[in-house]
Amino acid sequence: MPKAQESVASQVIPKGLLQNLLPEQVVPSKTNPRRLFDERPLRDLRDNIRQHGVLVPITVYPIKGQPDKYAILDGERRHRCCVDLQNEGLRVTLPANIVEPPTKVAGLLYMFSIHGFREAWELMPTALSLETVMRDLGERDNQKLVNLTGLSEPQIERCKKLLKFPKKFQDLSLDPDPKTRIPSNFWIEALPLLELCEKILPDLDAKLGRDGITQKLVDKYRAGAIKSVIHFRRVMEAYEFAEGGRKKVVLDRIRSYILQTGLETRKAFDEFVMDNRRVQNAIAACTNFVDDLRRYKLRYVADKDELFEALSKVRSYVDYLMERLKGSDPPAPMDETPEKDS
Amino acid sequence: MFEKLRCFFSARLRFRDYEPQPVTFGTVGRWVEQFNKTERKNLPLLLKNIKYVTEAETKNILCELNSNLVARLKQDGIPPHRIIYVQVDDAGSSSPFMLGILKNAARLERQGCKFVDSRDVRGLHDITDKLEEGAIVYVDDFSGTGVQFCKSRDFAVEYTVGNFAEFFLVPYICEEAVEKLRERGVEPVTAGIHKIQDRMLRAEASIVPDDVKKQLTGFCSKVDRKYGLGYRNLGSMIVFYRNAPNGVPLVIRGSQNQTPYVGILPRTTDLPPLMG
Repeated sequence: MPKAQESVASQVIPKGLLQNLLPEQVVPSKTNPRRLFDERPLRDLRDNIRQHGVLVPITVYPIKGQPDKYAILDGERRHRCCVDLQNEGLRVTLPANIVEPPTKVAGLLYMFSIHGFREAWELMPTALSLETVMRDLGERDNQKLVNLTGLSEPQIERCKKLLKFPKKFQDLSLDPDPKTRIPSNFWIEALPLLELCEKILPDLDAKLGRDGITQKLVDKYRAGAIKSVIHFRRVMEAYEFAEGGRKKVVLDRIRSYILQTGLETRKAFDEFVMDNRRVQNAIAACTNFVDDLRRYKLRYVADKDELFEALSKVRSYVDYLMERLKGSDPPAPMDETPEKDS
Repeated sequence: MFEKLRCFFSARLRFRDYEPQPVTFGTVGRWVEQFNKTERKNLPLLLKNIKYVTEAETKNILCELNSNLVARLKQDGIPPHRIIYVQVDDAGSSSPFMLGILKNAARLERQGCKFVDSRDVRGLHDITDKLEEGAIVYVDDFSGTGVQFCKSRDFAVEYTVGNFAEFFLVPYICEEAVEKLRERGVEPVTAGIHKIQDRMLRAEASIVPDDVKKQLTGFCSKVDRKYGLGYRNLGSMIVFYRNAPNGVPLVIRGSQNQTPYVGILPRTTDLPPLMG
């Protein structure tokens, strides 16, 4: 059996115990479940438990060092509901399958199912955990990692992009203060530009090196000259669309953009990408495409294989494009009065 | 004069090692003079209800709590080299200071314990990755609402891997914070939970007659109409030799910069800056 499969197969070892636990004996996941659960489905589940109790056992393992406490592997929502019901004054117990504590990697694989909910700007914890999984299992293949972790391939790709940066840059995304933290998306959006610079500006690359250019971009971000990390795409777009003599102008502009800390992205590149017609044409093409398909009344077609194949191609391209277009800035940090207890 | 002397002797005796501002006849006198004659009669009662924790007590409590915890963990199969002590606040504030005291007094390094700052999530990730299982012990002297602690802990814990029991080693903690810890599965290791009923100026407490409470809270409201009982109106009555937590009522701490009202145990941030 390959190493990866061996490890996963042994991730949860039942102890053969089914016990009724009190909500306070069960320790929730390290990541605060409150942030991860939608209130509405939770309310439905709570009402169900209020009426019938917990019907499906949760899966827990004993916590070493905390006797009579169990950490959840599966059943976070049921536990959350029981805590809420207990706060309402209702005594509810949780039937629980007690298993052996998972190995480090198995625990991480479980955590991925929670991290899968996360937005891209909180990708750093997932990326570091994925790095541990890749190292310990000796596995780097995207599809195998998808199967192991339950993360999507684009999520894995984004994590890998983050991990391509040296630690000193990664650590800028580990700053506890959201006001000074460099968002994970910054690296993901900056990577194509860094790769482009290596290719098209060899003189600058030789002078500064990739780390030097990266540092220049960080300085720009800190100076407020990159108002949105998405704006890096304007640089790429400007280069992609420039033709003939215009190409050299764009190259010079990219060089100036990197070297001049205060030069703002849109100010530098809007003149090359202001043409909005492409986007409007694409929107019209989408509308026409859907209208045409509707007009052909395809719902009851019998010979569907070729059509399936054609539609699959459309779907793959749409998925690819939507994935490429995804991305956003982190939400603005909220100002709150910090508590200084002592 | 009698009340002034009574307050001075009580305060001088009990708060003798208060670091932010020494308790002298002058500081006590200025504090007492802010109150009218009727109000002054309540001041000895107020002082009596302050739970003051001296330097020696803080050290003893920390060491004793820690020694019991380490013994317990050892019994459960977690040796000291698998214990990670975490400071949960900026350098210079109470958490690193308390961890420093504990580290030296309990000779934790000699036992092979690990240390990390909660802000150094890379360090925490690497240590937990290497150890794979053990215990994480956050250290501080006090927690009021628990908001600050939970903010630091929630950020840091996302970067841990493996199976780690979590503990918060803290001499005293308010019951509001205990609830937040419970939600997260962090076990408080403490000498005392400061209950709401034990905070004499809180409406829920019945330690002093209502008229006394009204006069004292009335003074608090003069200092700050909205948060006279301190941060989030905790009304905490525990003060450490190093500082008064921000949840302590303003009748004890005084105004910001000590103007117009002075406190008997002002917080370091309540005092005006020293001019060089």
